[in-house]
Amino acid sequence: MPKASKPIVKLECVSKKYNEYGVEVKALDAASLEIYSGEFVSIIGPSGCGKSTLLHCMGLLDRPSSGVVYIDGKDTSKISGLEIALFRGEKLGFVFQNYNLIPRLTVLENVMLPGWIMEKDALQLEKKAHGLLKEVGIAHRTDHKGIHLSGGEQQKVAIARALINDPVLVLADEPTGALDSENSREIMKLLVKMNEKRKSTFVFVSHDMDIARYGRRTIVLKDGKIIGDTAKNHVGFDGALKKLGRNANNKQRRKQQ
Amino acid sequence: MSVSRRLAWGELKEHKRIYTVIVIVIALTMTSFMLENAYLNYMMQVVDDTTKVITSDAVITDGSCNIRDLYGTEKELKDAGNIAKKIERELPDYETTIRVTAQGTYGLGTAGEAVDACTIQGIDPSDDAKISGIKDKIVEGRFFNSGDHILRGHTPLYIKIEGPGSLPDFTYGSGQRLMQEEEPYPIIVGATVAKIHPSVGVGKTLFLTLGMSGRETSYAVVTVKVVGLYESGTPTLDALMWFMHADSLREIKGYGTITGKDWTVPGVGTFRGFNPITIDKNRGDVILVKAPEPLTRLDPVGYSEAVKESVKDIVPDLNVFSWHDFLVYIAGSMQDVVTIMLWGSIAVTLFLCGAAIKYVMDSIILRKTREIGALKAFGARDRVIFKIFLYQGLVLGVIAGLVGIILSIIVMNLVNWYGFNVQFIAGTQLKIGFIINWLTILVAMLLPIILSVLAAAFPAKKAAKLSPVEALRKGELSL
Repeated sequence: MPKASKPIVKLECVSKKYNEYGVEVKALDAASLEIYSGEFVSIIGPSGCGKSTLLHCMGLLDRPSSGVVYIDGKDTSKISGLEIALFRGEKLGFVFQNYNLIPRLTVLENVMLPGWIMEKDALQLEKKAHGLLKEVGIAHRTDHKGIHLSGGEQQKVAIARALINDPVLVLADEPTGALDSENSREIMKLLVKMNEKRKSTFVFVSHDMDIARYGRRTIVLKDGKIIGDTAKNHVGFDGALKKLGRNANNKQRRKQQ
Repeated sequence: MSVSRRLAWGELKEHKRIYTVIVIVIALTMTSFMLENAYLNYMMQVVDDTTKVITSDAVITDGSCNIRDLYGTEKELKDAGNIAKKIERELPDYETTIRVTAQGTYGLGTAGEAVDACTIQGIDPSDDAKISGIKDKIVEGRFFNSGDHILRGHTPLYIKIEGPGSLPDFTYGSGQRLMQEEEPYPIIVGATVAKIHPSVGVGKTLFLTLGMSGRETSYAVVTVKVVGLYESGTPTLDALMWFMHADSLREIKGYGTITGKDWTVPGVGTFRGFNPITIDKNRGDVILVKAPEPLTRLDPVGYSEAVKESVKDIVPDLNVFSWHDFLVYIAGSMQDVVTIMLWGSIAVTLFLCGAAIKYVMDSIILRKTREIGALKAFGARDRVIFKIFLYQGLVLGVIAGLVGIILSIIVMNLVNWYGFNVQFIAGTQLKIGFIINWLTILVAMLLPIILSVLAAAFPAKKAAKLSPVEALRKGELSL
């Protein structure tokens, strides 16, 4: 882990509170962490522990109630509402559980979409999109509509799309959540490959421990708090998992069986 | 092409069926609007052409006159020449004409057996082009020409009525003989009259009895010769309204310097001698005011009232009637009702179309919430999302407007080519026609655009304001 460099993501005591039916719910409680360039990080934790909220805060999709999120060294709390969208488009890439391809656009157009939004040069964008599609192994379906692809293929397109603007950080929210185990493994291998090849930083959330194991660093969340971090605690994945206690281990065991 | 436009086109293609239905409804509404408006324009043009011969855009009378007097006032407007000049001075774009008018009756068939009424408008041929355009409506015979005996140079037969309510007790006797020997005044008569009464036609001579109350309640009996028949397009008005040269009526009414002496016809009575008379062109009964052409006929009532008000400000002591006042007097508020109904029906249909666009877009946004969330995650600013839906509204409006206009032009041309006529009174026929002006086309183009852009703006704003997290979450929930 190249700690000598500046962190790509830095969370300083980030909390997020929601008000549901007059009751205050703390989704994230004073979370602090640093993620460095080139890392491949998984975030795990039980349902409702704040995994997605943490990812949304990192992805500037949601503003924390308190604390500061730094992306690429920039204090994002100081970015205005209008500029934050541009900043997000420039610095971040997203992969969603349900792919979110625009069904009426072709595979190529879907990959180019974030580039269009950022008003990039059309010719260069197309060239780059072709390259990315080749990298993710879906070049043969360039002109097909997104809707005609299988789930695994759609997610590959989504990965290519996430990388089109050369983001410093790619965030994936349950990237295999809608896929079968074979496709899930394929997608995770692809993400690992892209991380290694492109040196991009990847952070993904998963409730599936098999999938979470792909992370070279794992952050464990419980009740909105970071209770484990393989990088900090110098423990392996299983060690970090122990922090979640019995239930998670049981779930893991069940899955292994 | 910007990303908003690309995505908007995609949306339009994806929802082409429902959008086609909406576009067709708006386009047909616009076609109906154009046709109704063009037909209304045509009808109003016909009615305008006829009624404006009496009123032009506004008519000024003496303060004691009422609207009934516009048919043929019997009260002279004092100082008409100076009033007309004052109006033209203060309203430089306006034109004025001093008009002499009279009401009268004429015998049909055997003298004394039947009479019909008419209104005589004295028109000055030099002013006619700008005021009435009757010259262009002659269908048989001719307009006045320089060889006509516009001035007879002698005395009309005046019968003075002794007491209020009493009718003149006279026979034509020597007076009639006297008139028969004289050159008749040329007159132009409505073609409808000639169709109804065989005794009226080009080349025929009639005896007119004109009310001359300004001359101490008396009648003037004059001979006239029909030189032309005109058709204004409104047969009822043609039957009522006849035209004499303004100077002929001035002579009959004595609007000039009279140098002759009274003279007596044995057995008939004493008459005032007009011979010779120097016509005073500044003397008249009413002043017609013509305002500049309105930009559109979409609000003829408002325009008419505005003209009236501007004239009224200059002559506060006199009566000013607008063309619309006169129209209401003779035909009630039918015109206003038709205009209100036209706009009312258009407004209701367009409102429903607007509601449909909003509803369709609302439902699209609801279904596409996750897509919107994803776009925002990729860096799309609020205005990018806003424009995606606004462009759709704009395209729908433009297509609907264009289709509506093209369709209405096709229908108008077909009707004009086929030449539809409807039966009107006294065997006359009323032609169905259309007059379309650029402003109506502009309104028919802009109205659907404004409507659909406005209708799209509400859902577009809603979509733009979605928080990315909420949008992504809601999308997941909707699955």
